[in-house]
Amino acid sequence: MDSLRVCAGIALSLAVLCTSGRPNVIARESATGSLTGRVHVVAHPARRLATAGAYPGRIVGIQGERETSELDNVVVFVSSAMQVDSTPQRVSIRQTNEEFIPHVVAVTAGSTVEFPNDDLIFHNVFSLSRAATFDLGRYPRNESKARTFTKPGVIKVFCHLHSHMSAIVRVFPHPFFAVPDREGRFTIPTVPAGRLEVAAWHERAGEVTHQATIESGSATELTFSLPLTDPE
Amino acid sequence: MTTPAASRSPRLLVKVLCFAFAVIGCVIVAVFVLFSWQTNARLTRAVVENMESSQLRFAGIDARLRREHTLQAMALAENPTLKAAVDTYYSERANEHELGQLRSTVETELAKLQAIMAVPALSVTDVRGVVLASAGPNRGDWPAGARVQLRVEENGAPVETVVLRNGHPYRATAVPLVLGRDVVGEFFLASPLDDAYAVNVASEARADIAILLDGRVIASSTPPSQRRALEGVALPLSGTIVLGQDEFVVQRLSSVDSASVYALASVATAARTATSETGWVLLLAGAGALLMAVGGSWWVARTVARPIDRLSNSLATMAKARDFDRPLQPTGGSRELDTLTATFNELRTAVSLAEAESEAAYLGVIGALATALDARDPYTAGHSQRVADLSVAIGRQMQLSDPDLETLRLGALLHDIGKIGVSDAVLRKPTKLTAEEFEQIKLHPTLGARILKPLRFLDAQLAIVELHHERPDGRGYPYGLKGDAIPLFARIVHVADAFDAMTSARAYRGALPVATAAGELWRLIGIDFDAQVVQAMAALPIALTDPSPNDDAAAADRPSSRALVQFPTRPAAHTAQHAHLALRRAE
Repeated sequence: MDSLRVCAGIALSLAVLCTSGRPNVIARESATGSLTGRVHVVAHPARRLATAGAYPGRIVGIQGERETSELDNVVVFVSSAMQVDSTPQRVSIRQTNEEFIPHVVAVTAGSTVEFPNDDLIFHNVFSLSRAATFDLGRYPRNESKARTFTKPGVIKVFCHLHSHMSAIVRVFPHPFFAVPDREGRFTIPTVPAGRLEVAAWHERAGEVTHQATIESGSATELTFSLPLTDPE
Repeated sequence: MTTPAASRSPRLLVKVLCFAFAVIGCVIVAVFVLFSWQTNARLTRAVVENMESSQLRFAGIDARLRREHTLQAMALAENPTLKAAVDTYYSERANEHELGQLRSTVETELAKLQAIMAVPALSVTDVRGVVLASAGPNRGDWPAGARVQLRVEENGAPVETVVLRNGHPYRATAVPLVLGRDVVGEFFLASPLDDAYAVNVASEARADIAILLDGRVIASSTPPSQRRALEGVALPLSGTIVLGQDEFVVQRLSSVDSASVYALASVATAARTATSETGWVLLLAGAGALLMAVGGSWWVARTVARPIDRLSNSLATMAKARDFDRPLQPTGGSRELDTLTATFNELRTAVSLAEAESEAAYLGVIGALATALDARDPYTAGHSQRVADLSVAIGRQMQLSDPDLETLRLGALLHDIGKIGVSDAVLRKPTKLTAEEFEQIKLHPTLGARILKPLRFLDAQLAIVELHHERPDGRGYPYGLKGDAIPLFARIVHVADAFDAMTSARAYRGALPVATAAGELWRLIGIDFDAQVVQAMAALPIALTDPSPNDDAAAADRPSSRALVQFPTRPAAHTAQHAHLALRRAE
């Protein structure tokens, strides 16, 4: 558990240069700034389980535990209501060793998520979420099925064959989101200037929202602390 | 010796019997009491042991059931739909009013599972402990939206717990719903801890069951009274408690959170069962022992009492017959009794001797009286003694036994004792008596009998005294008896009396010669005298005194000169020869 704890870093390099060379719809409309910062995830022991202890039988055949971080499951995004179309993406959530990898993906509306099966066994992909209720059915190794998510929201994806498998697809109506790196650093370039609400989200911690004023051409820094405690 | 009065004391036999019976009865009762006490102690031990084994058995069953429950719960908790629904529900809780479909998905899944499991209540909560849906007959206690405290083990293992829902205690197996490495909710398999459950457990544990939550009885298979009594009793893990007047063995079977399941067994109930089984055996054994006790006591009592009975019977017989001549025979029953017999015999001898002495003294007095009586009249001096001597001689000739001869002698000696009541004037009248005076004389046999009657040892002589003037022809006095109606002794004395009177001088005549007197005897056989007696007398050698002729009255006192004269064996012709005769016993 301690390994998952990311210690709070205060000093951040101010100079995060954002390159405006890549295509961006916002850039065309108005002045933009960039959003950078760090996310601290404080794991709550009571909410965490050592998987190996709970159902040892279910992880037989898995060669070693993949090094993961809860930061991989965090998404930082602009939560102010805005609709900014952007190019649909195509991302993958692989089904490897009875696990959806990555556990969390964030895409823009209209993007397609593929679910390739890397395992020797059948898998299934389904969701009961309102934003996208679907069932891709069972399929074997090396097959892949895809689903295009048009409606923004949180879509929880499960495997009907392996109840411990789950993944989350976050669909945003805009492209202003990022997943922190292993140190918790994130950067969202070309965010429209102005007062915005920015949230860091984790499936169990929920959202932590900060107000930010994005100034054109400059980098705004935010620090999020996500306690993975019971939000209630 | 007095006749033994009917005593009111109990018979020895009865007494010994009662005593022996009481002793053996006491022993039996003591054994019974001891046995009962022992039985109780042993039964308590047995109940405790039974309870311990019951606890072991129950623990085994319980552990198995718990494991099964746990495994079932774990398997059910892996239901992917359930997990997906719960997780999705949680992530979309912000729009709770739009989650009806998710909720009904969970409900449907639970209903399916419940149909398989037949658990009173199945319930699923989200990660906050809020009930999403429930199924089962008791789902009313687990309504959606209600809060249940989460019981999550760090390693995700199922937890046995007691949950209060709507005031009803439930025993629940709580399994976390794990998604990946996170808990997304909890799955409860719950059974109410009610009386039905207690009764069910009781049948498994084979003992009464009480389920306590924080010291309060929440369910039990016992009657309400015992249930009330159990409240507020500090129950030990195992041991005995007293409820009311009954002793109970208590054993804690299992414990979950603050709820404990106790097994209770009444020692008295067990004792009743065991006692009723052995009761008959005990009763029969007791009855047998009592019977043997009666028999044994009877035998002992008889052994002890019988010689005493025999002794007292022979004593009673002896006293009744006034026969103290024969000594008592030793009973041989016991040394004490033999000593008693011997002592009695000594006493008897001493008393007999004393009696004989006093009899002799009596006789001496009476003899002296008779002599004195004879001496009232100079003509009859020595008469009684002579009649006695002659009577004995005749009796001996008639081959009477010695005791009869003694009776005869005494009777003859006393035959004229009644003359004590005849006045001197009549007795000593030298002239012929008037009829009136003769009547007075005739009273003397009756009078004599009356005098001697109180002297019981002279009973045999009474007849001689009373009847010595009776005659075979019935013309005698006082009764005029005839022939054989007159006792032999009286007939003998009558003859001897008449002979002595005839051969003695009287104031109005001289003494008749023996031959003359003998002639008279012969002549009056069958009239005045008995033939047998006269014939016996005729066979006697007679010591004859020959006083001088014409002897006067004074001459009667003199000792006669001795000469043996043969009494005539036949009636002879009358001889005028006068002679003084005196009869002496021929030696």
